[in-house]
Amino acid sequence: MDSTLFQSVMLGIIAFFGYMHSFMGSTMHNRPIIMAPLVGLLFGDLEKGIMIGATLELIWMGAFPIGASNPPDMVSGAIIGSAFAINSGQDIPTAVAFAVPIASLVLVFDNFMMTFYIPFLSSKADKSAEQGDFKGVERMHLLALLSTKGLYSILVGLGFYLGADSVTKILSSIPQFVTDGLNVATGLLPAIGFAMLAKMIMTKRLMPFFLLGFLITSYMRVSVLGSALFAVVIALLLNFSGLTGTKEDVANDNEF
Amino acid sequence: MTTNSKIGKKEFWQSYTRSCTLDASWNYERMQNLAFGYMMVPILKAVCKSKEEMAKALKRHLEFFSTTPHIVTLLVGILGAMEEANQEEENFDESSINAVKASLMGPMAGIGDSLIWGTLRVIAAGIAISFSMNGSILGPILFFLVLNGVCFPLRYFCLKQGLRWGTDFLYTIGKTNIMQRVTDSTAIVGLMVIGSMVSSMIYFELPMLVGSGDFKQPLQEYINEIMPGMLPLAAFAVMYYFLDKNVKTTTLLAWVFVLSLIGKYLGVL
Repeated sequence: MDSTLFQSVMLGIIAFFGYMHSFMGSTMHNRPIIMAPLVGLLFGDLEKGIMIGATLELIWMGAFPIGASNPPDMVSGAIIGSAFAINSGQDIPTAVAFAVPIASLVLVFDNFMMTFYIPFLSSKADKSAEQGDFKGVERMHLLALLSTKGLYSILVGLGFYLGADSVTKILSSIPQFVTDGLNVATGLLPAIGFAMLAKMIMTKRLMPFFLLGFLITSYMRVSVLGSALFAVVIALLLNFSGLTGTKEDVANDNEF
Repeated sequence: MTTNSKIGKKEFWQSYTRSCTLDASWNYERMQNLAFGYMMVPILKAVCKSKEEMAKALKRHLEFFSTTPHIVTLLVGILGAMEEANQEEENFDESSINAVKASLMGPMAGIGDSLIWGTLRVIAAGIAISFSMNGSILGPILFFLVLNGVCFPLRYFCLKQGLRWGTDFLYTIGKTNIMQRVTDSTAIVGLMVIGSMVSSMIYFELPMLVGSGDFKQPLQEYINEIMPGMLPLAAFAVMYYFLDKNVKTTTLLAWVFVLSLIGKYLGVL
């Protein structure tokens, strides 16, 4: 077995492991911060894998499943992006440049499956339910999982197998300003992720806490963990003094 | 768990393991319906007295469902207790099961999503990224441990409480504003962490030189004297503004790539 084929198979296995996170307690080991190091390990450069993972994690900080919105397919993006970058001796921005569009592309495919294929299985489960046949319901759930995730994993392996050679050739002929530009973009992209996150929880009333976090880190170099601990204390203090859980326009006569 | 319940240790742990698969068959039509049905099977097998009852219960639990996977066990417990009551008590109102399910999944998703995806994950990632940036293996390990060290015990606790509370839960929760308090507290922690990350994890500097002769120095140095992290904050504010105007994230991503390339090409960045 030649080495590209072996690597492709291994990448498919890593992908399957990542996708299975939703079967193992939504443990989030599908996130790039864990996927990319595994790819690094496979290609013998764990350290670069870890650093690519950190960068992609920042970029996709705002990407997570909530309600009916699904994030880009981080598993395929992180794996193929890291694999191309490490395999061709390129740096972190190259991984980002591949990961972001691939993840969006695979999401389109994933969306198709979640719109047509899985609802089809779920209508078959309805029929089993009518007979009181719980085994049929169980089968459809497991089939939905294994068939879709299995297919995506094969796509990941196949994507690397078909692209590895040509990608390495193309990458070596890219002008310097493009590489530098990608570097700038990589530093800036987390801003989008943070904005998406903040948009979910920010209200006018709570905005000062965002600024407080920003200021103590900017001026006093408090780490993220430190900031989180300060925040816990503040939240506790506010709870003890009964200042949380009140909406300005809603009277709360139930309390105390 | 009451002592004479049919939901014993075996059913408890089967429900627990199966609850781990809640997002595995997600779809746009009824979201987590298949997984929810799958999850309820062990309890239904224990409590249902006939095939007809089983069929009715299965159909009930294949309806639309959506909530945060890590705390879904609370609802599994409550509904499990209700299903048992439904089989044991003659005048139990069957439709109340779906009513409770439908009325609880929304608020639970609200709290769960901001607690788990919005706050806990962000803190875990924030801590881990500082290690990963330097290539330390501690990064991925810490991310996994911080997150799941909370989530798996939480999942257990929720199932236990759910079974204990049964239908009383709605009554208790309705009397306090605990939901809003939890949401507020997690939002405070989440926002401070995000603020802190905006300052330390967005890299955007202006290296061009300003001034003349001996006083020539990078523009960035002046900016740092006024407020370190001013440019990252500005970048964040711009993104926030466009997201608020409903610009798609993929569009923003594309613009960042294009503008960075142009900026480098022209030499202003």
